[in-house]
Amino acid sequence: MNDSMAVKNLALAQRAREFTDEFIEPIVAELDRGLVFPKSLIGQLGSGGFLGLVLPEQAGIDGSGFVGHLEFVRAISASCPAIASIVNGHALFAYAIDHWGGAEQKTRYLPGLAKGETLGAVAIQETGPTLGLGADALFATRQGDKFLLNGTKAFVRNAGAADNYLVFATMQPAEESNGLTAFIVAAGAVGLSVAPRLDTMGLKACPVAHLTFKNVIVPETAVMGGVNCGSVIATQLLSVASVAEAAQTVGIARAAMAHAANYAKHRVQFRHPIAGLQAVQTMLARIATDAHMGWLGVLQAAQLIEDDAPFEREAAMVKAFIGRVGSNMLIEAVQVEGGMGISEVVPKGIPFSLPLARMFRDIAGTTLLDAPDDFPDQLIAACIA
Amino acid sequence: MTVLTSEQKTIRQTAKDFVAANITPRAAEFDKSGEFHAYLLDAARPSNIFAMAVPKEYGGLGYSPLTQALVLEEWGYGCAAMGTTLSASILSMEAVMIAGNDDQKKRFFKPMLSAEIGAFALTEPAAGSDAGAGQATAVKHGDAYVLNGPKCWITNGGMAKVLVVFAATDPAKGVKGISAFIIESNQQGLVMGDREEKLGLRSSNTVFFSLHDARVPAANLLGREGDGMRIAMETLDLARPSIGALAVGLAQRCLDECVAHLHARYPAKSYPGQTLQFELADMQIQIIAARQAQHHTMALRESNLPFSKESAIAKTLATDVAMGVSSRAVRLMGSHAYTSEFGKFMRDAKVMQIYEGTNQIQRLVIARSVLAPPKVAAPMMKEGAK
Repeated sequence: MNDSMAVKNLALAQRAREFTDEFIEPIVAELDRGLVFPKSLIGQLGSGGFLGLVLPEQAGIDGSGFVGHLEFVRAISASCPAIASIVNGHALFAYAIDHWGGAEQKTRYLPGLAKGETLGAVAIQETGPTLGLGADALFATRQGDKFLLNGTKAFVRNAGAADNYLVFATMQPAEESNGLTAFIVAAGAVGLSVAPRLDTMGLKACPVAHLTFKNVIVPETAVMGGVNCGSVIATQLLSVASVAEAAQTVGIARAAMAHAANYAKHRVQFRHPIAGLQAVQTMLARIATDAHMGWLGVLQAAQLIEDDAPFEREAAMVKAFIGRVGSNMLIEAVQVEGGMGISEVVPKGIPFSLPLARMFRDIAGTTLLDAPDDFPDQLIAACIA
Repeated sequence: MTVLTSEQKTIRQTAKDFVAANITPRAAEFDKSGEFHAYLLDAARPSNIFAMAVPKEYGGLGYSPLTQALVLEEWGYGCAAMGTTLSASILSMEAVMIAGNDDQKKRFFKPMLSAEIGAFALTEPAAGSDAGAGQATAVKHGDAYVLNGPKCWITNGGMAKVLVVFAATDPAKGVKGISAFIIESNQQGLVMGDREEKLGLRSSNTVFFSLHDARVPAANLLGREGDGMRIAMETLDLARPSIGALAVGLAQRCLDECVAHLHARYPAKSYPGQTLQFELADMQIQIIAARQAQHHTMALRESNLPFSKESAIAKTLATDVAMGVSSRAVRLMGSHAYTSEFGKFMRDAKVMQIYEGTNQIQRLVIARSVLAPPKVAAPMMKEGAK
């Protein structure tokens, strides 16, 4: 990253913070109830140009690019990482179309995605041991020049709110051994239904739900990146997503650390502010170190992604490192604030906000493994030659 | 290693059955609402389990500390919030056991015989880890003490029939001027606040309350004036391994859920990779170590040997293990476990690292003991030695 880009990214982060302070922070508690999708807020993000940052050619605003997108994600995660989840889900969809979509698909979808007029979502996960296995897997069957989709995609972020889904289905009968194909499916497609949203532990403003497909007919033009070419795309998208999620993790952790540090300066025990205690300083210093190291890794991987350079190894390292430190940073930040740290509602007479309990619930959602055996370490080991 | 008697095994099995029937099925429901699980007291009444720590001569079950720990681990396995109601009630009893006279014991233990609960009220807004910095005062007027001041984060506070409350009878003497009193829930001048909305242990009742010219009979003073801090510290030493027991139960539950999930999701023949196997092995190593640390503490206590350091270790190890195991379980099970219901284990464990003495305070106690003058006559490293 050169200096002028760094300056642009700083300016972008500053704009993101201003947006957050004005529009997100005042309604954070309401967003955490997760009862309704924050449609108007997403609209405002769109008009602010924040939903098209991964599409620099389309959006054409200063600081756009994948690095800029993550600066933005980190900035809003300090306040409401669930909104960052919505934006990340959308950006992943846009990134996919931009990289693997055909010319027609790009023309059709990218302008609306960049302006935030339409919201995207990506549906990769299933509940079986691997994609295409298990009773609930999503299968695609060719029918003349069309495809028939049947089955379920699990844990889809932005489910019910997105206008279009990028859906990965297993070809049946298997045309190749690894026959995943990506389809762009409109939310209104006949036979597509969204299950009730899951009661997630945190990140509640971002709806997560299963999608069920019952004889959903999609045209050949809905195939993205070619029939049976979906596996590589899915792997790369998961890799990009883990870097984007890590930016959320860092954003949450840094905000929590700042809050805990401020609390420690004001909380008097043993006749002095606890910030003066070495043990408390060490706890805060470790959070600061983990968040800093994590962010350096995120930035480097993001730059590779932005440059279209190979990034899988670096992304896996980000996922491995952030997975180790992620929740721990909030476990420690909450510990600094003790009883106040575990308060979900500010007790009477307390003149400041107490966001750490929510952040503790939120951060755990940014470091999940998609499958129990999905440790990034294997991929990293394979790169050590 | 602890070898359980056949009676202990029977008690543990009874607790397991009770938990499976009455606790596990309703844990999520009460976690969600945050309401106190009052039904549990009715369910537990026939078994007299809320009097398991009350000596037999006072009509209780008189379980040994280890036997109590076995029961608490099962309750923690089902729901740490419900387990906390039981353990916090026992905490209040321990104070009376330590310092109470016969009449006080009779009065304090009686409610427990019909599944009523007690509370232990030490913490104040300005006195958390620094327990001696409290503002509550008790001034003697004739045959009564007049109590004033705030108490906060009091577990069971709003639901307890009897409470042990700490207040300064001689504020000038600092911690040596603190005294302990028994008060009843209908005490005039006791103003109960709303329940706190917490991250975890949500259905365990936690309240702020304040005392306004509350006239407490002098007969309710535990021990003598100025004994309060000693009583409080001894009580917490006794009670800390109980938190360890709840935490071990919680951690074991997470591991069991994790394994059940793996079995359900994966075909019998596909064995998890070594990275995952080692994750599971690490969880089990930590859980067993935590359980043994806590049983060891109980064994020392039952043998009348010093156990203060071991008690701090048992609480710290078990709650740190519960936090680590629950958080790893959520990550491993991914979106399947990122729910309010499964996230409860993480949320509950987080509170357990904080209450009944933060794990930082425990580490101070442990470090003080570690740094005490060495007992070895000839240290291996001598200054200037080559």
